[in-house]
Amino acid sequence: MMNNANGKPKLRLQDVSKEFIAPRTGQLTTAVTGVNLEIQNGEFICVVGPSGCGKSTVLNLIAGLDNPTTGRIEANGAPIRGPGADRGVMFQDYALMPWQTVYDNIGFGLRYGTPGEGLSSNEREQRVRHFIDLVGLNGSEKKYPHQLSGGMRQRVALARLLANGPDILLMDEPLGALDAQTRLILQVELLRIWGETGDREQRKTAIFITHDIEEAVFLGDRVVVMSTHPGRVKAVIDIDLPRPRTEHIRANPRFGQLAERIWGLIRDEAYRAIDGKGGVQPAATTTTEMAH
Amino acid sequence: MSSIVTSIAPPRLSRRAWLIQMTLVPLVLIGIWEVWAVLANDPRAPAPTRVIESFIDLVAHGGLILATLQSLGRVVSGFAIALVVGVFLGILMGSVRWVRNLLDPIVESFRPIAPMAILPIAILWFGTGTPAALSIVAYAAFFPLLLNTVHGVSQVDRKLVLAASTMGVSRWRILTNVVLPASLPSVLLGSRLAMGVAWTAIIAAELGVGAKSGGGGSGGIGAMMFVFYAYNIDLNAIVVCMIVVGVVALLIDRLFRFAERRLMPWRS
Repeated sequence: MMNNANGKPKLRLQDVSKEFIAPRTGQLTTAVTGVNLEIQNGEFICVVGPSGCGKSTVLNLIAGLDNPTTGRIEANGAPIRGPGADRGVMFQDYALMPWQTVYDNIGFGLRYGTPGEGLSSNEREQRVRHFIDLVGLNGSEKKYPHQLSGGMRQRVALARLLANGPDILLMDEPLGALDAQTRLILQVELLRIWGETGDREQRKTAIFITHDIEEAVFLGDRVVVMSTHPGRVKAVIDIDLPRPRTEHIRANPRFGQLAERIWGLIRDEAYRAIDGKGGVQPAATTTTEMAH
Repeated sequence: MSSIVTSIAPPRLSRRAWLIQMTLVPLVLIGIWEVWAVLANDPRAPAPTRVIESFIDLVAHGGLILATLQSLGRVVSGFAIALVVGVFLGILMGSVRWVRNLLDPIVESFRPIAPMAILPIAILWFGTGTPAALSIVAYAAFFPLLLNTVHGVSQVDRKLVLAASTMGVSRWRILTNVVLPASLPSVLLGSRLAMGVAWTAIIAAELGVGAKSGGGGSGGIGAMMFVFYAYNIDLNAIVVCMIVVGVVALLIDRLFRFAERRLMPWRS
């Protein structure tokens, strides 16, 4: 595995579980359980799994938006106590401020949060400009989110994430709403922005949730495969494809093998999720069911 | 296919046809009113032509405009008090659970008490001057402002707050730069409703204060109506006042709708 100089993982999840209590019924649901992961500095980790496997829960725990019920999560060797700008989040539905223009949304953290501390307004402006260019939003700076297509909103969210300069990128299906072509282009873009072509030490650590297996294989150094009932890590697959990756890598037989292997791991559950609506799943999900 | 479309779509009206349809019934009613007043043969019976005369008269000697401005002044100051207190408490109650739990019972027990029901106490405490009218206006405007602010603050999309917290934004900054702008639509709606009830309340309050002070008192369009009702018995002038009250209410509403569009360009 790729260790950085001092060998300490960037992120460590130790036996993490998360339970939710439904507000009305008081029913206890296990979102994820027994998650153990060590993520090295500069690694690009993709997480795939059927819906309900707790992918987003794990991301929220790392972001510090929620506390694990049991277990430990450490970033840079220190336990996570809450949200912080060192761990930037790109939300599934973008979470853009509807009353702000594209420009103001991208500069939100720089203007109001810790990422802007010590920067002059000139430097902030330059930084916002830089990321507007980077994601190709020139000419749309003054538009409001409701005036943008889904793909453009995602670009805004990505630019905002990057403008805050986080150490760790947490992305929850960030390319999900894009059409297939734009998606392929942005995948390559994302790798470039992440620092694929540069020095490994310069890369950011990224956790990227997707339900597109090919996307996961294309982007990731490793792919975490999760499964449901309860949510847990089923396997971690090393993606031993060379970098930098281009579109051509999809023609590589190894690419197909890896995608096939991951699909094999989640196929059964994916099929069950489609036609198994009636036959609800194993008893271990909830305590009330366990009591039967 | 085109026949289906044309049969569903309403036939297009010419501008003139539209104008006739919109004004026909009011014009006929005014006509009937005028004829009825002439037939009644009572010089004091209100009639459209006499109302217009009375209006010109009242404007010419300045009393109507002064009274309207006096009433508006009270509404604006009473509204301002309610705005500050209502929005402040609304934010507190909307964002801090225990504050809400503490204050909710009081708010809910005073809310059903109509502004006019506190008039006797207001007059006993504040006399028949501006403070009495003001307190009733502030009381009336307070509840729509408070309740809409609470609603707005508690309905703020949680994702936006979480997003801000992942960008290292402090709790105070989240309040001022996420929660407040996100609840602005509700606050502005509350303002518009509050201004509406404030205007209604001031007329009633001035009528009441005017009655207590025997028509002297502190002026305002409500007091003016009281004088026309109790002393001059000038029905035409009362109708003029009624129309002015209505037009002002309409203008206030339009002004707030305009402000909403200007203050929230993202909502068009």
